Amino acid sequence: MADTLQGSTVTPSKAVPKGRPYGLLFIALPVALIVSFLFFPALKSIFGTIWVKQPDGSYGVSIATYQFFFSDAYSLANLAQTLWTTVVTMVMLIAVNLPIAIYLRFSKSKLAIFVQVLALFPMFVPGIIIVYALIRYMGPNGLLQTLLEAVGIFGFQSPYLTPWGPVIGMLWDAMPFTLLVLTAGMSAIPTSAIEAAEDVGASPMRILFSIILPQIKNSLLVVTSLNFLGLFGQAFMPFMLGPTSPEMMGPFMLRTFSSVRDPLQAATQATIVFALCSLAGLAYVRSIARRRAQEVVK
Amino acid sequence: MNLKRRDFLRGSAAVGFGGLTAGLLGSTAQAAPGTLDIFFNSDTNVVEFWAAAIKPAFEAANPGVTLNLVSGGGGAAMGALSERAFAALQTKTDPQVDMMEAIGPYSPVGAIEAGLWVDFSTTGLANIGKLNPAVINNKWSLPYRGSQVVMMYNGAKVPTPPKTFEELVAWIKANPGQFAYARPDLGDSGACFIERALQEVTGRNEALFTNENYSDDYAAPMFEKLWVLLKDIAPSLYKGGEYTGGNTPSIQLLASGAISMTIAWSDMALTAMNEGVVPDTTALAQLQDMAFIGGYSAVLVPTVAANKDLAIKLSDFLISTDIQGKVVTDLGGFPAINWSEMPAELAAKFANVAATSIPSFPGPWEAHLFDGWYRNVASNLTQG
Repeated sequence: MADTLQGSTVTPSKAVPKGRPYGLLFIALPVALIVSFLFFPALKSIFGTIWVKQPDGSYGVSIATYQFFFSDAYSLANLAQTLWTTVVTMVMLIAVNLPIAIYLRFSKSKLAIFVQVLALFPMFVPGIIIVYALIRYMGPNGLLQTLLEAVGIFGFQSPYLTPWGPVIGMLWDAMPFTLLVLTAGMSAIPTSAIEAAEDVGASPMRILFSIILPQIKNSLLVVTSLNFLGLFGQAFMPFMLGPTSPEMMGPFMLRTFSSVRDPLQAATQATIVFALCSLAGLAYVRSIARRRAQEVVK
Repeated sequence: MNLKRRDFLRGSAAVGFGGLTAGLLGSTAQAAPGTLDIFFNSDTNVVEFWAAAIKPAFEAANPGVTLNLVSGGGGAAMGALSERAFAALQTKTDPQVDMMEAIGPYSPVGAIEAGLWVDFSTTGLANIGKLNPAVINNKWSLPYRGSQVVMMYNGAKVPTPPKTFEELVAWIKANPGQFAYARPDLGDSGACFIERALQEVTGRNEALFTNENYSDDYAAPMFEKLWVLLKDIAPSLYKGGEYTGGNTPSIQLLASGAISMTIAWSDMALTAMNEGVVPDTTALAQLQDMAFIGGYSAVLVPTVAANKDLAIKLSDFLISTDIQGKVVTDLGGFPAINWSEMPAELAAKFANVAATSIPSFPGPWEAHLFDGWYRNVASNLTQG
């Protein structure tokens, strides 16, 4: 017993001195795979956007494609549209899922299981089916409009082919993941802390802002950063449900690559998207690192 | 407890490693002999036609051969498959692609020069002499079915369909919000509409557009005229200038009654009408002054395909009189071979269609046309 206590106070590297080489061997294969299949092609592609063929046939450094992107009103409008869609979808994801997660944490009824299953249901339905189903449901003269008109609500404007179309589609798509992370974060909140707060007369709002939110800060950060990565690069929902123009970066890159047949400009667009997404990635890595640091301290 | 966890990790890592190795080996394995992997860019009705009409007949005639029909999943995915074939050519490996349907040979860049595609003019196909010379676009694509783009409309709302492009434009403007066409890169029906519009503004002269003659300077004045026409009708389109995300969504809009007319492929329109997913009053019409740009779908065979010889044999089979007859009767398409080679009763039945040529539009123009359309027509930037 005394041994264990002592062991936990020394730094981890000293605790398992012989484990190190094993550990490295353990990660060697995945790291090699990531480097050879991900980092190397990605770096090659990024390098290819600045080391380009000159008119005279030689290769040299040029940032012409970036200059084009940032001086092209059309490309910038697409980037702005992507940011708008991503931020709006993320805010709505939190707004929808946080109450459900709180409910699932504190409810003990059978209904809670049902709600959880229902909220995770989108995970099991392929995106293409959802898209066509959504078109039929919320599209013009669709079921939603018919139902609204049946109860006397007229003037429904379908979100299909408007910027709200992909927001709704991606909301559905990203909901299970968001909820899973938030419920996991919620379950870490000790019931005793909440009961103690209730005992001293804290209001439910006070408990939410002073106890629950600070405790799930990390989960919120993880969900926000990972959703940002997923939503920002979405291609399928935007081009099926969204407006023709401005496009989101996903369909724009795809179109530039395959239809316009301009791989260089597509790679430039991808590099810009990558740079923006790495900010979200950085936030995620920092949150993970902070949690690990906390765990080591504990 | 710690030890157990470590054992578990070690065990699961071993399983994971094993699975990964198996996966890597699997992906480098050769394609099965006698199994032809055929990837389709065409919509599912065409894949179903192959499964019902071509696959059983070819497999019966060639024992031990299996046709593996794979829906390619759209232009970008097909492009990725071409890239794979091209990469396989460069590394002299098996691309696991034996035939590709309804894509052009011009992408990836450099593929033709490197000899990626089988040149059908030198393979000595028995049936090659039957091909209608007008439908041969290039020597690497073997055309096997034609379809045309038509106006698909609700007869209850449109008693007399437009007969000329001018009348169509007048109808669109007189009925705001009742017409939609697909984005050109996502649905070929939309591409054919803007290409027909381009023919209209340039005096309906097919000779202006060839596979070789695209240049920015040559095209710019023609495109300028086209943007004016398309921007002019945009406010009268569905939702004041919105475009659907493909051939099927266009038909879906018509089916829901949101619009009264759209542009569709004849074969997809016929399928939708047979299945009853569109109103009973749905009808089709073709422009009489100059038909909509249609096209012949062709097959390509990579020179590195593991079953190259079988794929060439299948190509020959596709343009046999028998299969070409089924293209007409079962698929609602046009034959790629001369009508004189077709069964007499079929030729008689389709005599008035046979006279109609399907204008085609050169692939190398499309990349520039489509991007220009996005920037000038679909984008609201210039409209403020």
